[in-house]
Amino acid sequence: MKRVDWTTLPFRVLGWMVLVFLAAPMLVVFPVSVTPNRWISLPSGGISFSHYAAVFGSPDWLSAIGQSVVIATATMVVAVAIGTATAITAWRMAGHWIIPALRVLVLLPLIVPTVVSALGMYRVWVDFGIFDSWAGIIIAHTILATPFVFLTVSASLTNTDRRIEQASRTLGAGAFRTAWAVLVPAARPGILAGAVFAFITSWDEIVVTMFVTARHIFTLPRMIFEEIHDNLDPAVAAVSAMMMLVTVAVAAVLLWRDLRGTPAASEKP
Amino acid sequence: MTAHALSLRGLTKRYQGTVAIDDLTLDVAAGEFLTLLGPSGSGKTTVLMAIAGFVQPTSGDILLDGRPITRLPPEAREFGVVFQGYALFPHMTVAENVAYPLRVRRVPPAERATRVRETLELVQLGHLADRRPAQLSGGQQQRVALARALVFRPNLLLLDEPLSALDKSLRTELQIELKRLHGRIGTTFVNVTHDQEEAITMSDRIAIMRGGRLMQMGSPAELFERPGSRFVAGFLGRSNFLNARVTATGNAVTLDCLGVPLHQARAPGWSPVVGDAAMLALRPNKIMVLAEGEDAPNVVSGRITTALYAGTVMQLVVETPIHPALEVSLAIRGAEGLPAEGDSLRLGWGLNAAVPVAPDAAA
Repeated sequence: MKRVDWTTLPFRVLGWMVLVFLAAPMLVVFPVSVTPNRWISLPSGGISFSHYAAVFGSPDWLSAIGQSVVIATATMVVAVAIGTATAITAWRMAGHWIIPALRVLVLLPLIVPTVVSALGMYRVWVDFGIFDSWAGIIIAHTILATPFVFLTVSASLTNTDRRIEQASRTLGAGAFRTAWAVLVPAARPGILAGAVFAFITSWDEIVVTMFVTARHIFTLPRMIFEEIHDNLDPAVAAVSAMMMLVTVAVAAVLLWRDLRGTPAASEKP
Repeated sequence: MTAHALSLRGLTKRYQGTVAIDDLTLDVAAGEFLTLLGPSGSGKTTVLMAIAGFVQPTSGDILLDGRPITRLPPEAREFGVVFQGYALFPHMTVAENVAYPLRVRRVPPAERATRVRETLELVQLGHLADRRPAQLSGGQQQRVALARALVFRPNLLLLDEPLSALDKSLRTELQIELKRLHGRIGTTFVNVTHDQEEAITMSDRIAIMRGGRLMQMGSPAELFERPGSRFVAGFLGRSNFLNARVTATGNAVTLDCLGVPLHQARAPGWSPVVGDAAMLALRPNKIMVLAEGEDAPNVVSGRITTALYAGTVMQLVVETPIHPALEVSLAIRGAEGLPAEGDSLRLGWGLNAAVPVAPDAAA
């Protein structure tokens, strides 16, 4: 019979309680999304998927979902390209006096309160004529997402032997080929993690979105916000539940591929 | 494979205020195995990185078969480099690592596969082609690095401390293997190390460096038997250094060392003048223990302060009038009558045993 370890039991109980405490507000959307009532409530007297059907039957919801997918994907692609290139450059030039300055510059969007960035972007986007446009929202989200890619790729490169770059050069590859064939694969785990972060950053971004969009661009988080504001339709809970599932699925697929792609270090002969 | 000759002409590299390479001129013959040997900070790795193209010299030239290559980027030099720590690409298999330089050169796939296989056979790794570097031992990784650097038939092979990460027995084994490989493929090798044993066993010639300068260059035997300076004599093997003054010059030179007369044969490049100071380097293995009544051109008596049994030799430290701690290494022929601490003995050596050396102005 397994004996209970009394000394660590309180800590384990506490740990699970903290986890439940953190996850509960998120998980509550799942029961709410299947309520048979027409207002936001926990299900009473059976469950119903009518709110899911309502979401898929609504052109407004579908358009918002479509826009968010397009914007988040574009943001992910651009942020990964810029963040990876910057991180590789910073890694290559490590020790140069300009690198600490560059790091601060790249991480600035994380440091500055989002509402301040949002206000600045609103002003400038109007002047540039990209207010409430696809380009405007994608650029805005890319600015917010790039620091995550930079951080994750930099972390991946920290343990990379600097000499592999030199080795590639002596074997006949120029600087670009070396970056593509040797450094990008070395940074792969960081690039994948950064891509997930970038996608999610855009996918649930609301503050900047509110400032730089009006009628033309209507992302999913903005739609949820406005819906909650105007009426208490449980469709919001259905959308939230789906958003969460999509987010978890994207992260799980990428992380799983990443784990599978790395051979275990213990496989030595 | 045609071998190529490399020349350095007045190569100098300065970093704000400090001189890493100081006016270095040397020639590596086609097909030669040259080792740059020196303590850390001697500039030997900087020289290798300059040859590879990663360090741009402040002045001076690097010539390959007489053509200057000083301004060529590393990828245009066609030099194979085995890096310290090997720098294998972790995400590629052994075969992909070795194929990389051929892929870059757009060698057709069929020929690429053949050459990768041949080169892996050359370093005896054919059976590990599909492994990843992380799954290999240090010695195997070293061989992959070697195969990758040789597969594209480089003009020159550069080795940066290629064996320093391996344990001692493996190191000795790979020294022999590297030497044999050099003989088989005939490419010019330039090796960098701080390990004198490695330099002596593998190289055709050794260039000893110190403080960015070339101290002496020659075959291992030349450097060992005829060191030009105190630094070289002390760095390559062990030596006793005797401070003496020339008292007479004839067929043999007579010197006075703290009141004891020493006799020394003339050496090429040594022109002693009566009254001058001279420094003699005397290897511990050139000193004999004299039996009762036995004589030698140089004789001193002393008392053993330390006697270490080292299997094939006895390492003795002897207090003598000419040197307070003269090192003597004595071949052991039998277990009987081994000298012990506190014993008094007479030591002797021949006219050619010691070597006059420059006493190192730039110490």
